[in-house]
Amino acid sequence: MSTVLTEADVAALSVAKVVDARGTGCPGPLLEAKKAMPGVAVGQVLELWSSDPQTKADVAAWSGKVGHGFLGAVPAQGYDRLLIRRAK
Amino acid sequence: MGTPEKLVIMVTHGPDDPELATLPFTMAAAALASDVEVVMGFQGEGCLLMKKGVAETVSVPDLAPISDLIGTIAELGGKLLVCWPGLKSRELDQEDLVAGAEIVAAARLVVEVTSATNTLTY
Repeated sequence: MSTVLTEADVAALSVAKVVDARGTGCPGPLLEAKKAMPGVAVGQVLELWSSDPQTKADVAAWSGKVGHGFLGAVPAQGYDRLLIRRAK
Repeated sequence: MGTPEKLVIMVTHGPDDPELATLPFTMAAAALASDVEVVMGFQGEGCLLMKKGVAETVSVPDLAPISDLIGTIAELGGKLLVCWPGLKSRELDQEDLVAGAEIVAAARLVVEVTSATNTLTY
C-alpha cells in the first residue's frame, strides 16, 4: 500500500534531490534510490521518478527494510513521483 | 543491530533460459540495495554468464539487463563465485571471465551456503 500525495503535499516537504529513473527495468528505480540516498542529508526527502507502476510497492518495502520513511507517491503524466525521507 | 543477513543465490541457467538467468541478478541487486550481503554461485549453464561478452547477449523485457547489473552488484559488494568444473567442461578459465568473477570449487560454495541466512536457487 502507498499513500497518494498531492502537489501541495510535495511542496510542503521541500524535496532535497530528484532522481529520474523512468524507463529503467526492475530493480532499476530501487538501485537509483539506493545510489542517490547518500546525497541527501538525514531527515531530508528524496524524490524518485519511475514509470514502473510496481515501484511504489517496491520502494515502500525497501524503505521499511532499510529504515527510511516512504511518504507516498504523486501520480504524474505516465509515471509516479515517489517521496522517501532519509532516516539514517 | 540484528544478525547480519546473507543471501546466497545459485545460478544454474544462462543463455538457455534468459528469464531464469536474469532474475538472480535482479534479486541480488535488490538485496544489496537492502543492505543484505549477497553471494552469487554459478554452476552448469550459469557459468556462461560470467564469460566476457555473454551477459550482453541475454535480456528480458521489463528487467534490468544482466550486463548493467553485474557492475552494480560488484560495486555494492556482491561476490560472484564460479564453479570450476562448470568452467572446465566449457573450456573456460579465469582470463575468459568478467572482472570480479572468482573461480571456486564445491567446498567454498558449501561454506557460503551453510553460513547464509537465506538461499535462492535458479
